[in-house]
Amino acid sequence: MSARAAVRGIGVAGGFGTGVAALRGALAGAPSGSAGQNAATGDAAGCRPADTASLADFVDRKALRRMDTISRLSILGASLALRDAGVERVDERMGVVLATGYGPSGTTLGFLDSFIESGDACSSPTLFSSSVHNAPAANLSTLLGVTGPNLSISQFEVSASSALLTATLWLAEGRVDRVLVGGVDEYGPVLGYCWRRLFGEPDAAGCHPLETRRQSARPGEGSAFLLLERPAGGTASEVVIETVRMGRVEGASAAAIPADRLLILGADGHRRCAAAYERLVPRGSAVTTLGHLWGSFPTATAFDAAAAVLLLQDGRTPEPPPGPADPERWHLPAAGEPLPAAGIGLLRVSGSGEYALTLMHRT
Amino acid sequence: MTRPSPAAITGIGCICAAGRDLAAAMTSMAAGGRAPQPPVRFATGHPKRYPVFGVPDAFVPADLLGRTDLLLTTRFALAATRQALADAGWDAAALRAARVGVCLGTTVGSALNIEDFYREHRAGGEPDLEAIERFLRSNPAAAVSRELALDGPVQTVVNACSSGTDAIGIAASWLRAGACDVALAGGADELCRIIYNGFISLMITDEHPCRPFDRTRRGLNLGEGAAVLVLERPADAAARGARTRAKVLGYGSACDAHHLTAPHPEGRGLRRAFAEALATAGIAAGDVAFINAHGTATPDNDRVEGRVLHDLFPETPFVSTKGYTGHTLGAAGAIEAAFTVACLETGSIPGSVGFTEADPEINATPAAAPLTIRGDVAISDSLAFGGNNAVLVLGRGDR
Repeated sequence: MSARAAVRGIGVAGGFGTGVAALRGALAGAPSGSAGQNAATGDAAGCRPADTASLADFVDRKALRRMDTISRLSILGASLALRDAGVERVDERMGVVLATGYGPSGTTLGFLDSFIESGDACSSPTLFSSSVHNAPAANLSTLLGVTGPNLSISQFEVSASSALLTATLWLAEGRVDRVLVGGVDEYGPVLGYCWRRLFGEPDAAGCHPLETRRQSARPGEGSAFLLLERPAGGTASEVVIETVRMGRVEGASAAAIPADRLLILGADGHRRCAAAYERLVPRGSAVTTLGHLWGSFPTATAFDAAAAVLLLQDGRTPEPPPGPADPERWHLPAAGEPLPAAGIGLLRVSGSGEYALTLMHRT
Repeated sequence: MTRPSPAAITGIGCICAAGRDLAAAMTSMAAGGRAPQPPVRFATGHPKRYPVFGVPDAFVPADLLGRTDLLLTTRFALAATRQALADAGWDAAALRAARVGVCLGTTVGSALNIEDFYREHRAGGEPDLEAIERFLRSNPAAAVSRELALDGPVQTVVNACSSGTDAIGIAASWLRAGACDVALAGGADELCRIIYNGFISLMITDEHPCRPFDRTRRGLNLGEGAAVLVLERPADAAARGARTRAKVLGYGSACDAHHLTAPHPEGRGLRRAFAEALATAGIAAGDVAFINAHGTATPDNDRVEGRVLHDLFPETPFVSTKGYTGHTLGAAGAIEAAFTVACLETGSIPGSVGFTEADPEINATPAAAPLTIRGDVAISDSLAFGGNNAVLVLGRGDR
C-alpha cells in the first residue's frame, strides 16, 4: 500500500515567531523574535516562548477564555495550516492527529493545585477535564468543526513521527481526504526545574547540536501542523511524505538510513542522544540540524517537517547549525546549496532508544 | 474508502479485576460476581468512599510486581503482553527476528502522575527526580517494545477512554501497510489518586457498584488493568501454523466536536464511527451477533449510546461489562475487545451486572443475564472524553 501524502499547508508557532514567513526567516538565519526568558513563566532556563496572540485572528476570543496554553497552541498551529492551504471549509472528511510529548502539563499541575490547596473534595472539574492528553485535539476539533477521526499520540521524541505514520495511513486507506497532523508541547516552571536537575544550567554559548560531547540543549515549546492530502500525481509539483519508518536504534543496520538525502537530524544539543545519531548516520552524510531554532522539546520533529517542506519548495539548504562539528563525521552543506535530488530525511531518536525516519521529496 | 483486509488475532492477554487472565475473567463474569472496594493503594479525603475495581497484587506476576522502576500501568501492559504472546505461540527469540509494532492506549500511563514530587516542589523543596524518571521510562508502547527488545513502530494512543479501541484499529492498519509483520495492540491503565479525584469532581462516579444502562444509574466506578492482542496478517499466521482466534474486520472512529466531557446529544460521532466500522468490515448492522457496549453507567453516556444502539441495531443484544471491571479508561477498549473475542468463541455473553430496571429515556436494554448468541461477527465500541468515538468489528476465528 502506498502511504504517500502531499503537504498542502503549514502552520507553526514557536520561539522564532509565528507563521510561514517567520519560519522562512529562521531558516535563513534571521534573528529570532523572542529569546532568552519565557515571558509566560518567568523562567530563565533559556526557553523561547511561543506567542499565541494571533489566535484571535481565527477564533472568537470568548471561546478562548478558559483555554489553556497547549490548546491555544494547537488551535493556532492548525488554523495557520488551514489558512496556508487556502482551506476555508472543514468537514467530516478531515481528520486530526496530534502528537504531544507531555500533554497539558501546566493544566495537570493546576489540577493538582486545586486539591492540594483545598482538599480532595474541592478538586477542579474544569481543570481535570482539560488535563486529559487529548483535550488539545478535542478543543481543536470542536472550535474548528473537524468531525472526522481524532487521534492524540504521546510517544515522547518520536511522537510527531508516529503521528505522521498514522496520518499518511489514514489517507492511504481513504478514511479521510485531509489530515491536520501536528506536534505541540508547552514549557513551564516544573519542566524547567526538571531540566536544570537533569542537564544543569543552560550553556551560555548556546546550542551546539553537533558538538556531540557537550550538553548544550535549551528547552523550547510550540506548535507545528501540516495539512496533508493524497498526492495529486501527474505533473503537479508538490512536497510529498514518502514513508515513515520506526525501529530501535540498537540493532538498526547502517542501510536503514539513506545516504543520498539531506538528513535533518533531531540532534538538539542533548549529549545523551548524540551517540545514537553517530551510530545511525552513515559517515560523511550530508546533515543539518534545526533544533537550535525552536529549542528542544519532544515534538520538535513536527517543526523539522514543516521546515523541510519550505526547503524542498525552495530547493536550497538552510544555514548550517551553530557550533563546531567533526568534519570527518558530518558533511554540513553551506547555506543555499542545491538540495540532493532524492530529497530530505528527518531522523529523530528518543531517550527510549527508538528512531524514526521520515522521507520527503518534491515531485 | 477502501475495504481493508482483516487482521488475524492470534493471541490475547488480559488482566483486570475480573480475572488474572482472559479465561478467568470470562468465568468470573459468567458467574456474575463482582466486588468493588474503596481504593487500597492510596488514601483520599473524600467524605464518601467511592468503590473501584482494583487488580489484586496476586494477579500480577511476582517479577513484574517488583519492577517499581516502572509505573503499574506499564507492568499491567507487560503482564498482558506475556499472556498474549504465549497464547499466540511466539517465543521471544522468534519475535526479535520479526518487525513488531507496539500500539497501546493509556490515560494514566502518559500523565504526570507525580503528586508527591509536585507537593515538595510547591513547598520550595528540591524533589528527587525518581518519579519523573519512572514516568519517562514507562511510556507503555516504548516500554513494551524496549523490554522485549522489539524492532518496529511504537505508538502510545492517548485518546482517553477510546484509546484501547483506537490502538487496535491503528495496529491493524500498520499490518496492512507493511509497517510491521506482527503488532501488539491494546491498552493499559492503573488506578491513581489524580484520576480518582478528577472523576469524582465531575460528579460522574457512583458511591455504589455501577449500574450500566439502568434507570437508577448514578455514574461509573473506576477500574484498572490491561489487555493486549497479537495481530498478524492472516496469511502470515497461517504460514506459521498459528490459530486465528478472531479477526479485526473493521474499525471506525469519529469526533463529536461538541464538548470536552459530554457526548453529542444525538451521538453524531458515534453514529459515524459505527457506519465506518460496518463499511470497512463489509457487513450490515443485522449481521452483528452482539455488541460489547461502552456502557459506563454515567447518565449521559448510557443515554446517548443506548439511543444510538436502539436506532442502529434494534435487534442486536448488547452488554456492558464495566459492571465487572470498572471503567479501565485507556485499557477499556482493549479489555472489552478481548471479552468480545472470548464471547464469540463461546457463543454467549454475560449479563450486564447492575442492570435491573430499564430506562424509558433509552428504549434499549442490555442483556440482563447470560445469553446465547448466534453469529460470527460482533462489535466493541468506545466513547471518550474529547468527543472521541471508536468502533471495532470483530469476526470469529478458526474455531
